[in-house]
Amino acid sequence: MRYISIFMQYVGQYMKTRLTYRSDMVVELLSDLLFQAVNLIFILVVFGHTKLLSGWSKDEIIFIYGFFLVPFAFFSTFFNIWDFNERYIVKGELDRILTRPIHSLFQVILERMELESMFGIITGLVVMFYAGSNLGLTIEWYDPILFILFVLGGALVYAGIFISLATVSFWSDSRTAIMPMMYNIGNFGRYPVDIYHQVIRYVLTWILPFAFVGVYPAAFFLDKTEWYGYAFLTPFMGILFFGLSIFLWNVGVTKYRGAGS
Amino acid sequence: MDKMIHVENLTKEFKSYSSRSGLKGAFRDLLTRNYKIHRAVDSISLDVKPGEMIGYIGENGAGKSTTIKMLTGILTPTDGTVTINGMNPHKEREKFVKTIGVVFGQRSQLWWDIAVQESFRLLKKVYNVSDEDYNEHMSMVIEALDIAPLLDKPVRKLSLGQRMRCELAAALIHNPPLLFLDEPTIGLDVLVKLKIREFLKELNERYNTTIMLTTHDLSDIEALCERVVMLDEGKIIYDGALNQLKTSWGEGKQIEFHFKAAKSREELNAATGKQLVVWEPGENANTWTANVTNDEDIISQVIGDVVSNHQILDLKILETSTEEIIRNIYEEGVIHG
Repeated sequence: MRYISIFMQYVGQYMKTRLTYRSDMVVELLSDLLFQAVNLIFILVVFGHTKLLSGWSKDEIIFIYGFFLVPFAFFSTFFNIWDFNERYIVKGELDRILTRPIHSLFQVILERMELESMFGIITGLVVMFYAGSNLGLTIEWYDPILFILFVLGGALVYAGIFISLATVSFWSDSRTAIMPMMYNIGNFGRYPVDIYHQVIRYVLTWILPFAFVGVYPAAFFLDKTEWYGYAFLTPFMGILFFGLSIFLWNVGVTKYRGAGS
Repeated sequence: MDKMIHVENLTKEFKSYSSRSGLKGAFRDLLTRNYKIHRAVDSISLDVKPGEMIGYIGENGAGKSTTIKMLTGILTPTDGTVTINGMNPHKEREKFVKTIGVVFGQRSQLWWDIAVQESFRLLKKVYNVSDEDYNEHMSMVIEALDIAPLLDKPVRKLSLGQRMRCELAAALIHNPPLLFLDEPTIGLDVLVKLKIREFLKELNERYNTTIMLTTHDLSDIEALCERVVMLDEGKIIYDGALNQLKTSWGEGKQIEFHFKAAKSREELNAATGKQLVVWEPGENANTWTANVTNDEDIISQVIGDVVSNHQILDLKILETSTEEIIRNIYEEGVIHG
């Protein structure tokens, strides 16, 4: 397909530029790793004080965290468009995007992708295998397939939420602090939702469904049968939220006002 | 198809709110806002034939860029219809933009960090251009713009003039039948300007490319365009041939005399009479300018009258420049005749 070959061209160019700025790339990788290590230490510190959290053990929560890292890595590689408002709306870069014969969102994604975030997948898998072997989990033949489905679903949920937020800029080009706030809310999905209040649980499931990025699908692999229903909803929630965000984007583009000059 | 661009009653309104002054006003703004509707483009109609080169001029904020952005499918019109190449730019954006090339003088099409030829390669892929078409067409473009030595340099290392030539080449990768140029020569030196003009002429002759150009540099338009469209406060105030603009507005001629000694207005009026000539003091000492109508008999008569009565050192006949004509039009706001 044409979009795939364009994607490959962009990836090739991306590698070329990245290789010319070698030190940049090393620093970025290191800071990513550090960020993940801090989160892991936080979990360990919490469990230094308690053995169980609403019936979840330390290893189970570490497993959820490991799972979360994988869809999150996909998200940060392709859909991390937190600076969309400033870059494309305020500076008017979208003008250029709109004069090219490819879907505008696809172009923005190609221009903003950060392939080195893919390393998060490795970290995530390592954390999962570590926690999984502590828990004595076994891998069935269907587990890898479901894993891929759930990861894609989770990544699409994340992408859908952030793209929808980015489209707000089409209507109002004032800067908002909504993006950083969303990052924090997104972190809520890394912990079992039953430790939260009912309202927060509802929000994390149906309104900002970050729970589908971490706890729900991970619960499936932890053999928590009471969460299976939610786990299998993950791919559908992903498609629903992503589809909705594309729709919002397409409407938003017609409202684009352009920047001066 | 005899029309490249067909625009009817095109209008674009922007809604903005005007803020009240002071802190109290800011609080009131929170509750009720005063919206103001600003018409950037006010029902303009325009037809362009294939192969035409059109100059689109107007002051800053007259609505030039907004029009171009609507014609290129970037902005959705508030009202009116646009048909270009038989397509509606906004509705069929992705198909439509394959048939146009766009250069924004103040915005780069090229990727900052990678070599120019790599940018070209990406664009070639984006526009789905075949190798044969690319090689045949781009070798001509690269040669005409003289950018072969720049191809392996990253864009950030190019000078403005070099970058602009590369931008122009990048907009032509898919050999579009229609080219929009928004201030392509802004900030460029004379040599680069000349090169770009020559290139545009060649392109127009060779491929019959329709070119629509906005600029503040009227010499661009004089060199390239036979037709000008002039915009003021969102309305078209002139649409026609450039030389007609000159004859209908620049109807007068000026004769500048440099006299040997100081002269007064009375002395000069006594020599020529008041009916045909209006005298104005020139910039230098002892120079006076006679404003007359563009008629050989009158000009000869005035010159004859002056030189037979007064001693002169120098004499110049000036035609009103396009720039002056346009300044006059904007000052008066309407077209006469």
